[in-house]
Amino acid sequence: MKTWMQTTALTMAALGFAAPALADDLTVYTALEEEEIAAYVAAAQAAMPDTKINVLRLSTGKLGARLLAEAGNPQADVIWGWAVSAMMDPQILDMMEPYEATGVEVLPDRFRGENGKWFAPIGYMGAFCVNTARLEEKGLPMPTSWADLENPAFKGEVVMPDPNSSGTGYLHVNAVLQGMGTEAGWAKLAAIDPNMAQYTSSGSKPCKAARVGEYTVGISLAFTAMQSIEEGYPLAMVFPEGGVGYELEASGLMASSDNKEAAQAFLDWTMSDEAIGLYQSYKALITIPGVDASKAAEAAGLPADISTILADVDFVEASTQQSAVKAQWKEKFGR
Amino acid sequence: MSSIDQTSRPRSRQSLDADRLLTLACVGLPLIGLILFFAYPMVIVFLRSITVADGYGIGNYTEVLGSAGFWRATRHSLTMGGATTALSVFLGFILAQGLYRCAFRGKWLIRGIIVLPLLAPSLVQALGLIFLLGRNGVISRALGIEIEIYGFWGLLIANTLYALPQAVMIIGAALVLLDARTYEAAEVMGASPWRQFRDLTLPAARFGILNAAFVCFTITITDFGNAAVIGGDYSVLATEIYSQVVGQRNFNMGAVVGIMLLLPTVISYSIERQAMKRQQAGQTTGQVAYQPSFSPLRDLSIATVSLLICAGIVAVIGIVIYASFVKLWPYNMSFSFKHYNITLAGGYSSLWMTIVVSLGASVGGTIAVFMLGLGLRRLPQALAQPIQILAAMPAAVPGMVLGLAYILTFNSTATPLYLLYGTAALIAIINFYHYHTQGFLTVITGFRQLPPALEEASGSLGAGLGRTARDIVVPFVAPMLVSVFFFLFMRSMVTLSAVVFLTTPNLSVAAVTIMRLDDAGLTSQAAAFSTCVMAVVCVAILSMRITLALIGRRSRNKGMA
Repeated sequence: MKTWMQTTALTMAALGFAAPALADDLTVYTALEEEEIAAYVAAAQAAMPDTKINVLRLSTGKLGARLLAEAGNPQADVIWGWAVSAMMDPQILDMMEPYEATGVEVLPDRFRGENGKWFAPIGYMGAFCVNTARLEEKGLPMPTSWADLENPAFKGEVVMPDPNSSGTGYLHVNAVLQGMGTEAGWAKLAAIDPNMAQYTSSGSKPCKAARVGEYTVGISLAFTAMQSIEEGYPLAMVFPEGGVGYELEASGLMASSDNKEAAQAFLDWTMSDEAIGLYQSYKALITIPGVDASKAAEAAGLPADISTILADVDFVEASTQQSAVKAQWKEKFGR
Repeated sequence: MSSIDQTSRPRSRQSLDADRLLTLACVGLPLIGLILFFAYPMVIVFLRSITVADGYGIGNYTEVLGSAGFWRATRHSLTMGGATTALSVFLGFILAQGLYRCAFRGKWLIRGIIVLPLLAPSLVQALGLIFLLGRNGVISRALGIEIEIYGFWGLLIANTLYALPQAVMIIGAALVLLDARTYEAAEVMGASPWRQFRDLTLPAARFGILNAAFVCFTITITDFGNAAVIGGDYSVLATEIYSQVVGQRNFNMGAVVGIMLLLPTVISYSIERQAMKRQQAGQTTGQVAYQPSFSPLRDLSIATVSLLICAGIVAVIGIVIYASFVKLWPYNMSFSFKHYNITLAGGYSSLWMTIVVSLGASVGGTIAVFMLGLGLRRLPQALAQPIQILAAMPAAVPGMVLGLAYILTFNSTATPLYLLYGTAALIAIINFYHYHTQGFLTVITGFRQLPPALEEASGSLGAGLGRTARDIVVPFVAPMLVSVFFFLFMRSMVTLSAVVFLTTPNLSVAAVTIMRLDDAGLTSQAAAFSTCVMAVVCVAILSMRITLALIGRRSRNKGMA
């Protein structure tokens, strides 16, 4: 049987089915957005001409599943721009190796893993996607805070992702709990629950549902909101008063990498001046002190000082509390 | 099978041995495939499901069984499975009856439309239903009321759209081969059409109906895509797995739910097998193809129902094609080609790779299920039964579970199977095994109509299994093989759930490109790309059909000469 398989596999390889990995290939797994990936990789490739950078892009959740499934024999050299709350999962951290990328020392401590296994110069934010056409049609007031969504007039008009299925869902729930205090936070979520039309499994779905007018408010991501506005949908991006949830996009080195030199060079590049310059055109949220994101932020209609709209999030606590909060959420609001 | 050299009649020994060897190969090769590419990965999933912090144990199972969410999802899944099955088999039987037992024009149209949901990427069906029936959909706006599509009813419609063509394929395999002479005899004896239907058609189609019901039920309880987009808060077991694995990176708990999904499937299939034992298989020799004559009441009503179903399917898919040509659905309906300019890196290139993969899956898969069906007929029941259950099981595994199981299995350097990891071949293989059940059941439903006497006669005239297979069996089951081939081809072109976990930076397929476009928020481009995929599949199928027709005509001419 073994021989038969070997023969088959060899035949297939001979037929050109298999793509043998080259020594200078670098495999990067990322959850960044396609558009920015294209720009960053083009620049990184030019800076590292001897290495072929292969990028696999999956959504945050699917990337986690893939990394864990491959844990026995990891295929990636680098994890690049992946939600830090996912990265802090011990199952993931076990697969990573500490590496101090050149330039990483400028980052404040809270944007670097204590163990040196990750660093996060960039991040993304949540947002409410409000369909202005539907808002007007229904005669609803523009919501500016979580409390506004308690209004019974919004019954069946609000959608948000389920924190048990979606990192974006947890991002919002965590921001409410940490921002308002645990007790008040749960009370707030409970007050909005009756208005919630559905809890979706995808983080961008609420915004996509709102933009085509299925619902009025989609609690979702700023990226999807901005992209939808650019496409021309009648959408307003709202950051709730009291601070919106955000997530850091962390990078790190896989311990199993057989091409560590290139992997480290790539991670160094992500902290280079060239990379930072690019972040300024794509990222509204940059954690590097003294680097302002005004260009990207302004284009997106954000305040130049983004910190004014962010919730005060403790990522270590967010990560350690994760399981408990999700279980509690499921008990209270699971449908 | 160890009795190969125990044959006592020396004269026929040689050919008998060759026959046994061929039977062995017919069952053995597909069986090795099933074991390597289905059973083995599932064993690994099972091991994950019993992996606990300190070794192995049933802790994960007790935890899952103790959660309220699981039982709610189970109840929902079973209800949805039952409802979808009832609706799909009922409508599927009407459609198959219309296609094979009635006389009206335009059957090619129905046949062509009914398979559209199989060749449409899941995004198309999801968008179509929402654009059509959503709260801000065409129908809601036209009627001035808001239809609440999200939940049970939306999910039932979506699941039925997807299950229906498969029900038609399998029930059709039972109806297409019914012997005309039986009906002539019934006619002569004065049996009313209703009586003929009740006493002849229905019993003969029972095997196909049960198989179709089994497939519809199984694919419904394992489907995640429809539940995620239109199920609203109607949680089902597949969403439960997604939430565990993708949402919480809780692999082992996801594996538990994946394993539990096998239970209802194995039980229902075993019951079905028991029920079928009582029925005498096969028919008499010298069948005459049934040529239905026009019967206004029957034919017109069935044609109407069929056309209504087709209109529904066309509306759901057509609206997405239409939307891909407008600037901004539903706010700016002016015509535009701009979404066809795919801005994603790689553009349309994944399309061609997908065609190669799909051809591989469908050619290899059709041969494998044919060999298995052929070989199983010659095995004793006790041996054939477990193989049949194994062959019918893959549909019970949600695509995501199968995809992750493949990573766990083939991304391990412990076996030479590792050579397959990251190759297009593995994607073709997973596509075939993902849809193994449907292919296998269609073929054995067809085989069941094959008169054993025909094979026996051919055998006693000295033809070996190989010759019998080529001259008797293949021509007989050819229509089923063709539908299995097209089924596998269409599904391989667009299926996402399993494949998404096997793509690599250098190897992407069309379904993944569609997902990436949608992930990037470019839903209209995703719709445009889907439209291109559907167009390519249609062209491919048409050209293959024409080729088949040409070959068929040439071989018939040769036969006459």
